[in-house]
Amino acid sequence: MAGISFRHVVKTYDNGVTVVPDLNLEIKDKEFVVLVGPSGCGKSTTLRMIAGLESVSDGELYIGDKLMNKVPPKSRNIAMVFQSYALYPHMSVYKNMAFALELAKTPKDEIDRKVREAASILGLEPYLERKPKALSGGQRQRVALGRAMVRNPEVFLLDEPLSNLDAKLRTEMRSQISKLHKQLGTTFVYVTHDQTEAMTMGDRICVMKDGIIQQYDTPQNLYDYPDNLFVAGFIGSPQMNFIDATVEKAGDGFSLCFGEARIHSDKKELEPYVGKTVVVGIRPEDFHAEKQFFSEGNVIDAYIDLDEMMGSESYLYINYAGQKMITRVPARYAKKADETISLAVDPDKVHVFDKETELAVCH
Amino acid sequence: MMEKKTRLSDHIWVILLSILAVAYLYPIFMILINSLKEERAIGTSDIFNLPTSETFAGFTNYINALGAQGFARSLGYSVLITITSVIAILVCCSMCAWYITRVKNKFTSALYYLFVFSMVVPFQMVMFTLSQTADSLDLNKPWNIWIIYLGFGAGLAVFMFAGFMKSIPLEIEEASMIDGCNPIQTFFLVVFPILKPTLVSVGILEAMWVWNDYLLPVLVLDIKKYKTIPMLIQYFRGSYGKVEMGPMMASIMMTIIPIIIVYLLGQKQIIKGVAAGAVKG
Ligand SMILES: Nc1ncnc2c1ncn2[C@@H]1O[C@H](COP(=O)(O)OP(=O)(O)OP(=O)(O)O)[C@@H](O)[C@H]1O
Ligand SMILES: [Mg+2]
Repeated sequence: MAGISFRHVVKTYDNGVTVVPDLNLEIKDKEFVVLVGPSGCGKSTTLRMIAGLESVSDGELYIGDKLMNKVPPKSRNIAMVFQSYALYPHMSVYKNMAFALELAKTPKDEIDRKVREAASILGLEPYLERKPKALSGGQRQRVALGRAMVRNPEVFLLDEPLSNLDAKLRTEMRSQISKLHKQLGTTFVYVTHDQTEAMTMGDRICVMKDGIIQQYDTPQNLYDYPDNLFVAGFIGSPQMNFIDATVEKAGDGFSLCFGEARIHSDKKELEPYVGKTVVVGIRPEDFHAEKQFFSEGNVIDAYIDLDEMMGSESYLYINYAGQKMITRVPARYAKKADETISLAVDPDKVHVFDKETELAVCH
Repeated sequence: MMEKKTRLSDHIWVILLSILAVAYLYPIFMILINSLKEERAIGTSDIFNLPTSETFAGFTNYINALGAQGFARSLGYSVLITITSVIAILVCCSMCAWYITRVKNKFTSALYYLFVFSMVVPFQMVMFTLSQTADSLDLNKPWNIWIIYLGFGAGLAVFMFAGFMKSIPLEIEEASMIDGCNPIQTFFLVVFPILKPTLVSVGILEAMWVWNDYLLPVLVLDIKKYKTIPMLIQYFRGSYGKVEMGPMMASIMMTIIPIIIVYLLGQKQIIKGVAAGAVKG
């Protein structure tokens, strides 16, 4: 069992494009780390470097305490689930899953036991004798998972393994994978686009953009204390609202002013920004329609452009002081489009970002 | 409306292709009918006639051909040369194509174009130097002439393999490497089986060529000692001063049959192989 450590890792492809400029990442033993980021940010590249499918252009990559830069994939003791399944088309589902074990000269009956066990977990028993081309996308994806599951690797690499499943199966597989992680006690590195997957499965989440780590922390910390505008906007759905506000001195503390609103904050970090414009980040659920939240300065009377009824709650797309925001309020307080609603901003949940550097000033 | 149109064009195609098929099959048919006739009925004037009760020879021509001196030996040589050559071409060229498609650099693309270029060099251009070279390298025996066939067959084979290889997703090979294959295992356990349709089509094309080839073995092999079937057929003409048309026709028939059987067995794969290369190559 092993942790993974990137030390100043650079990846430049043959065409001269540097996809990962300087990666420093420590993944602890037995940890479940999720890599998220927009398409093309280098998630798969990072994963493939761990697998040894992509060479490391510069820097050092350790698995456990062994330097891996020059070690071929087959000697790294890893299992990988590919974005495109990569099943062996000429082998049955059973053979696909048994292949790695056969190569490792595992006894026949043990192979059989492991394959059948994995197949029953994944609901693949009826298809064991089929070839991959006779399976649906979701079934293929499960075979790809099964192929990794039957092995006993030090590191599990998963590249968007659930992207082709329907919502129900995805939820099911999500808990399957989490369970698998607990059972095996192996290091997992998981690439996804899906926030829910990232938030629910990861011990830690690594948010990347253009090959650079934006923030690497627990899901809760990412959500509550995003380091910069990118992370703040990337994590959470619907997205965090970003509002331009000016900082004014108000007694001991400061006011974040936009429109009529004067949101109070006594964070010392705001001192240098007095008189300047900052970006205020407010999550949709931190607007409240209930009267008990209303207090001096934090109430906005916003015009509702559009309302989306989601059942227990409602998304209101509001327009206030020329800035568009999304709010999420309990259904019984919600109003309809073209009406005006009074909403209170929770002053303790306000995030402030520097407009120039986009870094967080205070939370 | 639409349906009717496609149906009409279907009919035209069927007719055209039938004519083409008849044109191709007719020579074989002529050989077949003449192989069943007596010697005297195979002349310039009556060559197109079907065998009649008088001229029908039954299988005597076949028996004569089989009994002719060296037929069994020639058959053995032909089979040996065809099998060794085809196996060599399939194994070596598929590996070579794998290297060319998976390792991308100037050397491999130069190599690829060299192979493609070798397809357009006419055999006649190199045949005399070839026979000299083959003699001096001692490649003039039925059991090692496959090396020469490998050389001449490589162009087409590498071209076809490389075309299909490009359509195999790289991830499949990567998965096998992670599963614990070394490159040799990746090739033989994963890539080679996936190539099956192309292997069959290349195999059949090359087998037909080697089996039917006349010029190369005549130039390279020692004619007195080793005769392949096509050489033997030629020998029916020249040996006794007169042309023994009956046995010759019969042996031509017997030469065609194995290759037709091979083709029919692999037909489905050939279409798959060609289509696979065509769609994605
Ligand atoms: N073999 C290659 N040669 C050159 N550039 C490449 C190669 N593979 C990937 N890239 C580039 O590297 C960048 C990162 O690719 P990567 O596949 O890691 O993205 P990703 O984060 O996995 O995206 P996605 O979420 O869409 O899968 C992309 O801009 C891509 O164009
Ligand atoms: Mg990817």
